[in-house]
Amino acid sequence: MNKYLDLSIKEINELLKNKKIKPIDLVNEAIERIENSDLNAFITLDKEGAIKKAKELEDKEVDNLLFGIPIALKDNIVTKGLLTTAASHILDNFIPIYDATVVEKINDANMIIIGKTNMDEFAMGSTSRTSYYGAPLNPWDKTRVTGGSSGGSAACVSARLVPFALGSDTGGSIRQPSSYCGIVGMKPTYGRVSRYGLIAFGSSLDQIGPMTRNVYENACLLNVISGRDDKDLTSSHAKVEDFTRKIGNSIKGMKIAVPNFFMSDIVDDEVKDKVNEIIELLKKEGASIDYIDIDYLENAVTLYQIIGMGEASSNLARFDGVKFGFSIKEPKNVDDLYGKTRGEGFGEEVKRRIMVGSYLLSGENAKIYYNKALQIRNGIRESFKKAFEKYDLIIGPNATTVAYSQDEGLNDPLRSFYDDALVFPANMAGLPGMNVPIGFNNDNLPIGLQIIGNVWDEATMYQLASFIEGKLELNLDPREVK
Amino acid sequence: MADCLTREEVLHVARLARIELTEEEIEKYRYQLKTLMDDVDKIKDVELKTEERLISPATENATLREDTPGEMLDPEEIMKNVPESNGNFVEVPVMIDE
Repeated sequence: MNKYLDLSIKEINELLKNKKIKPIDLVNEAIERIENSDLNAFITLDKEGAIKKAKELEDKEVDNLLFGIPIALKDNIVTKGLLTTAASHILDNFIPIYDATVVEKINDANMIIIGKTNMDEFAMGSTSRTSYYGAPLNPWDKTRVTGGSSGGSAACVSARLVPFALGSDTGGSIRQPSSYCGIVGMKPTYGRVSRYGLIAFGSSLDQIGPMTRNVYENACLLNVISGRDDKDLTSSHAKVEDFTRKIGNSIKGMKIAVPNFFMSDIVDDEVKDKVNEIIELLKKEGASIDYIDIDYLENAVTLYQIIGMGEASSNLARFDGVKFGFSIKEPKNVDDLYGKTRGEGFGEEVKRRIMVGSYLLSGENAKIYYNKALQIRNGIRESFKKAFEKYDLIIGPNATTVAYSQDEGLNDPLRSFYDDALVFPANMAGLPGMNVPIGFNNDNLPIGLQIIGNVWDEATMYQLASFIEGKLELNLDPREVK
Repeated sequence: MADCLTREEVLHVARLARIELTEEEIEKYRYQLKTLMDDVDKIKDVELKTEERLISPATENATLREDTPGEMLDPEEIMKNVPESNGNFVEVPVMIDE
């Protein structure tokens, strides 16, 4: 078996430019790796489409760094003519009739979409176990969860099945599985990447982002997918910049804050120890570290429950068995069609969240819960704003633990929320947040650092992440462990 | 507070969400929804320092695009995803029972 996919993007690019290899070689290798993998990372493998695209590229000039490279997409990003399920039974046979904007951008960059990755149903979960297609497995230890909801994307990059994947992050769904699987994941600033064609979960929280083997390649992929899109009113007019431009710069004099809540009792000691090692490393390098308080961080779980479930209940009203997707046979009337289609089509977690969300938004409850949640949300954002007047970046852990057992916490309806206590705040405030691996626990399971930046300041986050990556030189290839 | 919702309470939220539940699910959700709702209730204890609300973190005012005709979707393609159709019409069951 060839091992071109183990090379860096720059090395692959050289080989393509010098005609030593063709895109089809990369596609064949990716297909072979995916077909020989037992991680259940993919829902759909698009062999035919990928081979066709690779052949088309043979006559084209290699015009950019990501040309001809295979990429996997989370299965809640719609792809024209290619099954898109959001890991739900209710979208069993759904073939989208248009491409998401990020898909158009990936096609324009001549990258090759290899398939659609496994995930929590409609991105609701922290383990990817709510998938109708069964959970993906963590490449570092298959008895453990990948995290979620972008678990398939995290697993396939971690296991080196493909170098690139896209995930989506409504409440940590890129950062937390990246932490559990030992890869680099970025949730960009809200509005940085178009949400057009992302199956909506929490519209004021959702953001698509890159998941990759290393920091530089992550920034390269963000370069490709960013930018204003007239089809998403919330996408920003901010000019697309080169996110790699600060990589390699010194971090001397950088002002970094650590929220006290991020290092509180809710975080396992083995995770805190690693983060503390990084804090020492950064101090030694001339960065300053202050411990600060950000208002309402301890309420982020409650906020996410209310805003996340509320927005979900509204967004998922469109799945009714009428225009697309799964539909029950011979309904008695339209109520019967809605009720039974949704009852059979949605899984347990999704139904729970829609029901509670509907309840929280109904009648007077909207005032008691939703309205108050929005006020607290404003408080969180204001507090972050103040912090960023003084500091360049905020750091802490992404996950409170390392990846846990596939059997743990299965019947606990609160577990998926408390797993993500540290990653919700960035979504609430619309801030960019990322994961960079910083080491392993005694069982050789990855631990990740969360970096939160000011709005539109992803470049500085990559600068710090790249510095840490370069200093630690971790071996992040799980295949070499076993 | 009781440890679980009544059957009627579960049926009420299921009705709000247009989700039909099996008997087994109703029993399970009596406990699970209660757990979740109790947790959400923590918001009642939060002391507010701010009155302003944040609905969306978007930092720019939403602007509308020019109202110019664009590419049309192909009706035939759209209809391929429709579970019950008749020509270019989507079929639905009766809206109101007798």
